[in-house]
Amino acid sequence: MSDRRADFPALLAELKPECDALIAQYEQPRSALLPIIHLFQSREGYTSPEAMRAAAAMLDLTPAVVESTVSFYTLFFRRPVGKYVLQVCRGLSCSISGANDIMAYFREKLGIGHLQTTQDGLFSYEEVECLAACDKPACMQVNLEFVYSLTPAIVDEMIAAMRAGTYATAPMAQTDAPGKTWQVDQNDEVSTGGKSKGARDVSDPDNAGGLGDKAGVIMLDRIVDRDFAFRGRTSERVVLEEPAQIKELVNEDAHH
Amino acid sequence: MAAVVTPVLTAGIGEADLRDIAVYRGRGGYKQWERAVRDLKPADIQAACDASGLRGRGGAGFPTGKKWSFLPNNDKPRYLVCNCDEAEPGTFKDHMLLEETPHLVLEGILLGAYAIGSHHAFIYIRGEFKAGYAIFMAALAEARKAGFVGKDLFGTGYDLEVTVHRGAGAYICGEETGLLNSLEGKRGEPRLKPPFPAVEGLYGAPTVVNNVETLAYLVPILEKGAAWFASVGTEKSKGYKIVSISGHVNKPGNYEVALGTTVNELIQIAGGMREGRKLVAVQPGGGSSACIFEEHFDCPYDYEHIAKAGSMLGSGAFLAFDETTDFVAAAHNMVRFFAHESCGQCTPCREGGHWLEIVLRRFVEGRGLMSDLDMMRRVSSTITGLNLCALGDSIEPFLKSVLNRFPAQFEARVLKETTHV
Ligand SMILES: Cc1cc2nc3c(=O)[nH]c(=O)nc-3n(C[C@H](O)[C@H](O)[C@H](O)COP(=O)(O)O)c2cc1C
Ligand code: SF4
Ligand code: FES
Repeated sequence: MSDRRADFPALLAELKPECDALIAQYEQPRSALLPIIHLFQSREGYTSPEAMRAAAAMLDLTPAVVESTVSFYTLFFRRPVGKYVLQVCRGLSCSISGANDIMAYFREKLGIGHLQTTQDGLFSYEEVECLAACDKPACMQVNLEFVYSLTPAIVDEMIAAMRAGTYATAPMAQTDAPGKTWQVDQNDEVSTGGKSKGARDVSDPDNAGGLGDKAGVIMLDRIVDRDFAFRGRTSERVVLEEPAQIKELVNEDAHH
Repeated sequence: MAAVVTPVLTAGIGEADLRDIAVYRGRGGYKQWERAVRDLKPADIQAACDASGLRGRGGAGFPTGKKWSFLPNNDKPRYLVCNCDEAEPGTFKDHMLLEETPHLVLEGILLGAYAIGSHHAFIYIRGEFKAGYAIFMAALAEARKAGFVGKDLFGTGYDLEVTVHRGAGAYICGEETGLLNSLEGKRGEPRLKPPFPAVEGLYGAPTVVNNVETLAYLVPILEKGAAWFASVGTEKSKGYKIVSISGHVNKPGNYEVALGTTVNELIQIAGGMREGRKLVAVQPGGGSSACIFEEHFDCPYDYEHIAKAGSMLGSGAFLAFDETTDFVAAAHNMVRFFAHESCGQCTPCREGGHWLEIVLRRFVEGRGLMSDLDMMRRVSSTITGLNLCALGDSIEPFLKSVLNRFPAQFEARVLKETTHV
């Protein structure tokens, strides 16, 4: 695996014309945010902090606003995932037509649960809402390609083929090693934020009168810049990003 | 009415490769589009739509012509947005139309856009429909090549651009204002209404959001005439509807029928109940709808009769349950869906769904409390009516209907030592 971060500028340069074309489709540039993120994710396998920062720069948005938006959508993975994302429908029509057994079979077979990735980084598994294919239960998507009328035999075959590298649907790009889950904990470090413009521009931070003031400056700046936003949907609950920023500051302070 | 299927939008699906523009045109495709731009005024299409009695097929059943008439006359551009975010549990008709007959979907969009005087139309395609997206993109490219989309169409000077926008996993983006926010590159959170999209929609300009199936019906309505469409159906529910039938039937699938076909007939059309079992409940309009029961199985399937039976026709998702159904698990499944998909803006929807899901999970595990039964009724009815959008109000109907109809199933999951409390 090459160094994704080092390779990012080249990727950005390559995708820039396509991004510009996407932006040109709309009366307002920000409309291109989802398409741009889709594009980067298709190449990186997940939505990296670099991709979010690049999108922010292209659309003249703050990184926090981009991450807040991205975090709303379950198909955008803000942490690396497996090469095969297996999304099995848990909707009501499917679940009264055999899907519960199929889900149990997947969990047992892969040794992981909902929203988890296998240690070898090959499979990510998620139980998802109705996939609009309720006439062919149980159903699922493999990297967003539908598979219908699942049986344990089909599951066995599929997993064997993926392990052997012969499965019909191409694996996703994997530019970073996935962790146990791709869900972002609400208390995780801010991945895109960085310090706000204002705070960076404070010429002598020590003159600002200590942590309390510095934190205040950052908060105020970000609010004025609208560089703060809610993250996630209800599954993540609603939180402000600020604590991690402030935590960073506390750590910095402790080092001095 | 009889138990018959009448393919209109679904005609040719499974027989011909309608993705091929030549095949579609060979069957009369794009003729109405050409006729509209060359010979008809937008007002003519509006009049035909009004006369046909066409109502929205996306969930609310609002008369389509009337919705268009709300557009104000100002100097702002107008937008038509086709809603192909289909994620209402049990609904799978737009998914089929998109993949099987993309040119019909496109022709419907073009006609709708022309009817409201728009020069830029959008289709918002659910993020999961990756194949459908590719199929539609290919169809759009073909149509553009044939001169049906773009500048100076048919040499009349009329310009119309179509932009395809992919969602990224969020049921709430099917709600029209959530959709517009998502289309603007924002979190898909519904907006406070009014202003309605017709007045202030995409980029603050007058916007019509219509469902895929609604727009597609414009094509046969123009071809065969408004009177043809209006001659079918019931008093206030005109024309045909694709019903997505799933659950415990022998042949689940999309069936296009005249509105007013009865619930029993629909079961018959879908091959009857599996293993000769008995039908005990039907959820007639997607996850947001209450169940209807035995006493209403001879009810005509149309907007008014299903509403009178205590539910709604919604998106036309028809889910059949037999006597083996675990309605406690079903209620938990449905509430979990809404809890997961709540955008989180409204406290009743966000917190109510979340806590009801936790309580119902306890029931599924056999650890319910007797007092929970009343509490769930109270909480779910409290949630209703206090939210920005209809998602919050969709938590109660299914839960309440099965809780009232099958109390014994819930009581059987109460922790034994507490049953006397
Ligand atoms: C939570 C929620 C989800 C919805 N999802 C969809 C959808 O997936 N597709 C759709 O056409 N309408 C959906 N609707 C209805 C839309 O808000 C809107 O009424 C519809 O697209 C209008 O089109 P129509 O008039 O042609 O029915 C949804 C509504 C709500 C409240
Ligand atoms: S009702 Fe629920 S989904 Fe709708 S806006 Fe409120 S919180 Fe969001
Ligand atoms: S419930 Fe599984 S596809 Fe609809």
